[in-house]
Amino acid sequence: MTPLLELDAVRKSYGDFRAVDGVSLTVEPGSICGLLGPNGAGKTTSIRMIMDIIAPDAGEVRFFGRPRQRDDLLRVGYLPEERGLYRKMTVTDHLVFLGRLHGAKKRRMVPAIEEWLDKVELSEWAGKKVEELSKGMQQKIQLVGTVLHKPDLLVLDEPFSGLDPINQGLFKDLLAEYRRDGRAVLFSTHIMEQADKLCDRICLISRGRVVLAGELKAIKRRFGGNSYRLVASGNLDRLAAVPGVARAIAQDDGARLLLEDDASGAEVLPRLLEAVTVHEFRSEEPELEEIFIQAVGDSERTGGAAGEERHAR
Amino acid sequence: MRVRQAFVVAQREYLARVKSLGFWLATIVLPLFLAAIGILPTLFLFKSVSAHRVAVVDRTGELGAELATRLAPAPEAAAPAALTAGKAEAEPGTEGFEQQLERQLEAARFEVTVEPAAADPEAQQAELNRRVLEGELDAWIWIAGDALESSRVEYHAASVSNFITQDRLQDALTAVAREHRYRNAGLDPEQIRELARRVRMTTFRITEEGGEEEGAEAGLILAYALFFLLYMVLVFYGQQVMNGVIEEKSSRIVEVVVSTVRPFELLMGKLLGICCAALTQLAVWLGTMVAFTLPGVVSAMAWIPEDVDVPSISAGLIVHFVLLFLLGFFVFSTVYAAIGSAFNNVQEAQQWAGFIVIFLVAPVLFFWMVINDPDSTVSVVASLIPFFTPLLMMLRIAIKTPPFWQVALGYLLTTAFTLGMIWLSARVYRTGILMYGKKPTLKELWRWMRYA
Repeated sequence: MTPLLELDAVRKSYGDFRAVDGVSLTVEPGSICGLLGPNGAGKTTSIRMIMDIIAPDAGEVRFFGRPRQRDDLLRVGYLPEERGLYRKMTVTDHLVFLGRLHGAKKRRMVPAIEEWLDKVELSEWAGKKVEELSKGMQQKIQLVGTVLHKPDLLVLDEPFSGLDPINQGLFKDLLAEYRRDGRAVLFSTHIMEQADKLCDRICLISRGRVVLAGELKAIKRRFGGNSYRLVASGNLDRLAAVPGVARAIAQDDGARLLLEDDASGAEVLPRLLEAVTVHEFRSEEPELEEIFIQAVGDSERTGGAAGEERHAR
Repeated sequence: MRVRQAFVVAQREYLARVKSLGFWLATIVLPLFLAAIGILPTLFLFKSVSAHRVAVVDRTGELGAELATRLAPAPEAAAPAALTAGKAEAEPGTEGFEQQLERQLEAARFEVTVEPAAADPEAQQAELNRRVLEGELDAWIWIAGDALESSRVEYHAASVSNFITQDRLQDALTAVAREHRYRNAGLDPEQIRELARRVRMTTFRITEEGGEEEGAEAGLILAYALFFLLYMVLVFYGQQVMNGVIEEKSSRIVEVVVSTVRPFELLMGKLLGICCAALTQLAVWLGTMVAFTLPGVVSAMAWIPEDVDVPSISAGLIVHFVLLFLLGFFVFSTVYAAIGSAFNNVQEAQQWAGFIVIFLVAPVLFFWMVINDPDSTVSVVASLIPFFTPLLMMLRIAIKTPPFWQVALGYLLTTAFTLGMIWLSARVYRTGILMYGKKPTLKELWRWMRYA
C-alpha cells in the first residue's frame, strides 16, 4: 500500500536550537498514527513542516508516495493546535469559505454542510454569526471545517486539548470512521492515555528526535513481555544489580522490574529469590505512559534513539 | 501565486465588508457629514445665536446712538430665507455672499442699550460691573470723551475670549468713528463708501479645452475635496487592512488558512478584497459628487446662492483619482499589513501605525504650498516622492494639469516603489502571522526581511 504521508529525516533549527532533528515517520492508509512527546518536543514544528507552513532545513515530506506538491495539501484536513474562526462570518459562509480554500465548489458543498451541521446538531445555527456560538459549538464548526472537503488524511495538532467530553467523543468517532474507510489520521498529543486508546502506530519524539516508533501493539508486547511487578522486602537497592534486570523502578512495597530483552522471568526469578524476600512476582503490560517515560529517559542517557525500530514501515 | 486561492480570500474580504451594515452607514453618513460641516453651522448661527447684551456709555455724546443703530437687528435678518434672497441689499455686485452673511450675523447678535453718562464715572462703572456679574448684561462698552482722537474704547465683560464678537464690535465702532471723522472733515460718507468700493476679480481657468469661467474657490474646493477624500480613504483602509491581519492572527484562523493558502496569496487576496470594497465606496461617493455638480442639478438646489461656483469634475480627473488611489492603497496597505502581522494586538501595532501615518500626513503640510504654486520645484519634487505621490500628484492634477513627464514619472516611481514594498512586506508578513508572544524588536524584523 502506498503510504499517505512520509517524513524522511526532516530537520528544522531556529538559530542554535534544533527544534526537529531528523524526524521520520510513515502514515499508512487505514491507520491512526500518534505523534507523541512532551511539550516542546517538536511536534507542532513537525506538523507545520508537513503542512508546508514552515520549510524544513533538510529532509523530505512525501504525500501519496511522491514528493509533496503544494496542491496535495488540498486533500488534507488540518486542525492546528491554535485554532480559530472569523467571528463575524455566519456558520455557513465560514464553512463554504474553508471548503473553497480546499478547492471545493460552493454548490456541491451546501448539501454536505447541511448534512454535517445536522450531524453535530447545529442546523439551527447555520445562519448565525460565529461569535454568537458557544465555545463548544465553535469547536464543532472547526471539526466540520477540517473534514468538510472529504480529505484523505487528517493532520490534527493536539485535537483534544480544550474539548468538552461530547466533542472528544465526536473526534474519536471521526478517527474510527477514517480508519474504517481506509483513510488515515495523524494526530499529536502529549496525553499518553489518549494515544494508548486510539493509535495503531505511534511515533514518540523528544527534543526533536524520534525515540520510539512503530506499531503500538508490537511496542507494548515488547515492553510488556519484560515488565514485571515485584512485591518484596529486604534490601531492594540490590535489585538493579541482579543479572537480567535492566531497570528497577522502586515502588511502595517493591519494584517494577524491566528485564533485559533476552532475559526471561523464569530465569531471573531464582536470582531475585537470592537477593530479596519475594512475596509476589508477575508479568505486567506497561502503560504507554511508562514506555514513554522510559524511552525518553533512555534517549537522554544515550543521547539518541533507544535502539528500537526507529523507522518502521 | 495561485490566483484561485487569492481570489477565494479576496472574495471573503470583500463580502465581509460590503455585507456589513457599518460599511453602508459609513458610505452614506460620510457625505452627509461633510455636507453638514459645510452647511449646518451657518444655519445654526441664524437660529440659535443668543443676543449679546451690551450697555454702551458714550461720553463723546456722538457715537453711542449710531453704534446702537448699526448693531440693531435688521428687520429681515434673523430669517434663514435671507440667504436665498440674493442681492436684495444695496450695492449690487460689490457685496458677495459672505459679506451678506456676515452683515446678517452681526445684526442678529447684539442687543445694545445706550446708557447716559453719569456724573460719577467710577460709580457708574461699578454699577455696570455689578449688572454684568449678576447676569443682567453680557458686557459694557466705555467710550471715553476723547475716543475720536485717541481711537481707544474699553470693553468690559466677564469673559473676554469671545474674539469673534469683539471683532464685530470693533468693526462697528471703527465704522461709526470713521463716518464721524469724515463728516467732521467736511466729507460725505456716502460718497466715500461709493469711491472706496472693493474691486472684484473673476477667475478663468485655462485648460486644453479652452478657458472656462470658474471661481477661484471652486477650483480650490475641488482640489481640497479630492485631496482629503483620498487621504481619508488611504488612512481608513490602511487601518482596515492592519486590523484584518491582526484579527486573523489573534483569532488564530490564520493557522488554518495558511495550510492551503500561501502567505503571499493570503496577503494579495486580502489587499485585493479590501481594495475592491474601497473602490465600491469611492464609486458611490464620486458618483454622488459628479451627480451633484451636473449643471441641471446645481440649479435645482435652491440653497446654493447664485454667485457660488460649483466646480466641474472631468472624466480624466476621476481616472487619475482612481489610479492614484490604487497606488496609494497598495503602498500603504502592504506596510500596514506587515505591521499588523508583526504584533499581537491593535494596541501594540498602533505605535507603528502612527509612524506610517506620518508619511500620509506629510503631504498635508505641503498642501498650501502646492495649491499656491503647483509648478514650484518643491511642489514637483515632493509630488515625485513615492510615499507622497498619490496625494500630492492628485492635488497638482486637480489644480492645474502638470507636464506629462512629471505625471508619468510619478506613476512609474510609485509603481516600482509599491512593488518593492509588497515584496518587503510579504516577507515580514509570512513570518509575522505565525509568531505569537513577545513583540518583535527592530532587529528581529530586519532578520525576517533578510532570511524569511
